[in-house]
Amino acid sequence: MRKQDSSQRLKNFLQKDFTPYLVFAIPLAFLVVFLFWPLITTFLRAFMGAGAKMDFSRFGIDNFTKFFTSPLYQKSLKNSFILSISVVVFSVLIGVPMGYIVARVQIPGKKLLLSLGILPVIMPSFVGAFSWIILMGRQGVARHFLNIVLSPLGITIPSIYGMFGMIFTMTLTFYPFVFLLSYSSFSSANPLLEEAAMLMGAGKWRIFWTITFPLILPSLGAACLLVFIRSIGSFGIPAIIGGEEYVLPTLIYFRVNGFWDLNGAAAIAIVNVIITGAVLILQKYVVNKRKYETISASRSEQKLYSNAGVKILSSIFCIIILIVSLAPQITIIVMSFFEKWQGLFPQEFTLANYIKIPSASKTELGNSLYLSLIATFFTAILGSIMAYITERRRPKGAAILDLAIMAPFILPGTVIAVALLSAFSGNAIIPLGGTFTIIIISYMIRRTPYVYRSVVASLTQLDPTLEESSTIAGANWFYTFRRVSLPLILPGIISGSILTFSTLLQELSTTILLYGARTRTVPIQIYSAVADGKMGEASALSVILLIVVFIIVYAMNSFQGNKMVNSFKLG
Amino acid sequence: MSLSLRYDKVNKIFDEDSKHAVHALRDISFSIEPGELFCLLGPSGCGKTTLLRSTAGLEKISGGSIYYGDKDVTTIPPFRRNIGMVFQSFALYPHMNVFENVAYGLRVRKVDSSIVKEKVTDIMKLVGLEDVLKRNPAPSALSGGQQQRVAIARALVYDPDILLLDEPLANLDAKLRRYMRAEIRRIQKATNITTIFVTHDQEEAMAVGDRLAVLRDGVVEQIGSSDDLYNYPQNPFVANFIGKMNFFKVKVAKITEEKVDVRLNDTLSFSLDRSQYRSSSDLKTEDELLIAARPEHLSIAKQCDKPAIEGKVTIIQHLGHIVRYEVEVDPSYSRRTLEIDMEGKVAEIVEQDTVKILFNENRLTLYTQEGQQ
Repeated sequence: MRKQDSSQRLKNFLQKDFTPYLVFAIPLAFLVVFLFWPLITTFLRAFMGAGAKMDFSRFGIDNFTKFFTSPLYQKSLKNSFILSISVVVFSVLIGVPMGYIVARVQIPGKKLLLSLGILPVIMPSFVGAFSWIILMGRQGVARHFLNIVLSPLGITIPSIYGMFGMIFTMTLTFYPFVFLLSYSSFSSANPLLEEAAMLMGAGKWRIFWTITFPLILPSLGAACLLVFIRSIGSFGIPAIIGGEEYVLPTLIYFRVNGFWDLNGAAAIAIVNVIITGAVLILQKYVVNKRKYETISASRSEQKLYSNAGVKILSSIFCIIILIVSLAPQITIIVMSFFEKWQGLFPQEFTLANYIKIPSASKTELGNSLYLSLIATFFTAILGSIMAYITERRRPKGAAILDLAIMAPFILPGTVIAVALLSAFSGNAIIPLGGTFTIIIISYMIRRTPYVYRSVVASLTQLDPTLEESSTIAGANWFYTFRRVSLPLILPGIISGSILTFSTLLQELSTTILLYGARTRTVPIQIYSAVADGKMGEASALSVILLIVVFIIVYAMNSFQGNKMVNSFKLG
Repeated sequence: MSLSLRYDKVNKIFDEDSKHAVHALRDISFSIEPGELFCLLGPSGCGKTTLLRSTAGLEKISGGSIYYGDKDVTTIPPFRRNIGMVFQSFALYPHMNVFENVAYGLRVRKVDSSIVKEKVTDIMKLVGLEDVLKRNPAPSALSGGQQQRVAIARALVYDPDILLLDEPLANLDAKLRRYMRAEIRRIQKATNITTIFVTHDQEEAMAVGDRLAVLRDGVVEQIGSSDDLYNYPQNPFVANFIGKMNFFKVKVAKITEEKVDVRLNDTLSFSLDRSQYRSSSDLKTEDELLIAARPEHLSIAKQCDKPAIEGKVTIIQHLGHIVRYEVEVDPSYSRRTLEIDMEGKVAEIVEQDTVKILFNENRLTLYTQEGQQ
């Protein structure tokens, strides 16, 4: 009797459909090996003496005490804070008024202004940084011009290197996040709420501060968080324009590249992550207290200001922002056709910068394309399967999985690079130092959230009964996945992949710590050209990169509407 | 060939190990005959959809067994069960045209494409959509009623052993709903596939089903034909769920072999047959019981010679074939407003009038208070 029972149980067991478990096991294993394991190694290394050895006998907190003893560490930490907080403040000061103007004032060129929102996507931040050096550096054209104009007043503009330059270029790079998110909440807020306040006798200021502004606070909070995380993790801008002023990501680079001190870098990385994590929790805490449900179903059309004075002031504000935002692009396009640009006008027109590219940067172009394509392909698979697991299977600990996938969103690129180096360089069990593989893996880890979020969004809109009805009709899991789920989430996979691909082409902060002689990419080439002062060559390569990315992003925007900024949002 | 369907002590507990465990089905045991159109009826949250999804295998049951015919299917995954199911949302595939939607189950079964064409055409004829098949649009281009038919065709095309319908009419407007429930009955009788139809609408269930089961809190309260349930409800819950029932609190005055005498107040008492007592527990004098009367078994009058209770007319609704009077009485008789149906408008009675309430004694039933809503 008992024997029969157990054989029956075995039979039932074998009747199950095991395909999903097998399919899910692979990406989970990937996460464990290439995310959890490196993060654990990083954590362990942070407590070991300086150097690159995993040595448990030298356990201690020396790496951390440096934050109290070394002036360089202290300065970097302070700089990181000042920089990120200033960038958040200035981004809000520019982004919120601009969002309000574009949403509520009748001004021309709204589409153009909104398309500014994709600038941070198509324009690598380090390109923005070096174009500002061309404009405002020691020999910068704009600085030159302003100094001539202002000299009668006895004012000289300082060069852009240093803290001011970092805050300036970074704000210009990241304010569009605040602009777009506040635009979308200003334009989607229900006007009836404001009309109701008006009928109860509230004035315009009062309405803004008591009704409109509190309602956009949650999405403004999300935008600020995004800007903060981006700023504190940014490597390109401080590396190019920071001069003597180090911040945490450049300090990490300095430890690794200058001293091959992985353990020291790990400690800095952990401090960096703790700050980011603390800000994330703070934001969640503040925002969760202020989440509002929409109560009424009915709504009316948004009324726009048409007062002439308001229109003129708004237009002037927007035009200034527009000019400043587009200045870097124009600058590098002009620069790419000249030898030098010192003083007011560029000198020695030439096409040599472009003609040189095929011979000087052939490997880099090939590498960038190869690495980005391969990484995008695997990221698409990884991200889609992860999204499917968390969304459909809802396993125990789905929240942890969700967090694990989103973690690289929060972790700066340099931190990911340090983690991978910690686990896979030197005499590690799986030695990957200097290979294409380690770069591809770092790209996958960093960009999986893009695909993941995009696919989760499609999956939540996909009625689970569609899949259930396929199961009922007799299809096993794989058939259902192939014929029903996959075709319906494909748009999400594609848009996530395009975003992944176009941002990978410009990836600098991770690659810079992982590349070897064979694995140089276009951003690395641009970065070294800038470092060597070859602005013409750097500009020409940047223009090429810009055009390629612009075409991809433009194609995608017409494919799915202007929803791209949503992919960057957190939580 | 259609199969019978049998539940044996089926239990379902959601989140079994957690603190928030929900006991959704409790010891469900009953059978459905081959070819029967069986309705699961109950208020929302009663477990009817859970029972349907467990029948399909979409929910794993926590205890008991489910049999298709003689075969225990409890542990067989849904895709090996050969069932058809129509979802409330219809769940038509937006990326496939109507033909491919209907053909889906056949494609899964790797049926030869000429046979697929033939079977799809036949089934579309049965559900009355031959014309649609000629244009073969995307399902989103169809009206709600047409989408419903496509969903039914898709569930039937591969000759399932069991057909499951999960509130199939809930997404249609009122008029179409009445039409489609007759259509569903016609199609079910034409195919003779054992069918379960889940709904929360008692009128729909009574119109469609051969037999009905009324569920409450995961327990089957009563199973029977529409007629049984309406005329012989076993407890106050079923009585009030299947149609409207008015209840009055009474006390048992005297019990004899054939009769039960109950007292409503000092002047009004009823002498009822023992058969009019529907609960199973034993009776004693002085027991508090409920006397139940359908709206059509009460009437109102301005004047009356016999002893009667009084009430105040609050609302008069003309519903076409009847006139419904809502009457408030002293809460010691009944806490709820009474509904009384008259065949026509009673002259001289207007809203806010005080009226006498008369009982059709032969049609009254008696229940214990247990299980009243």
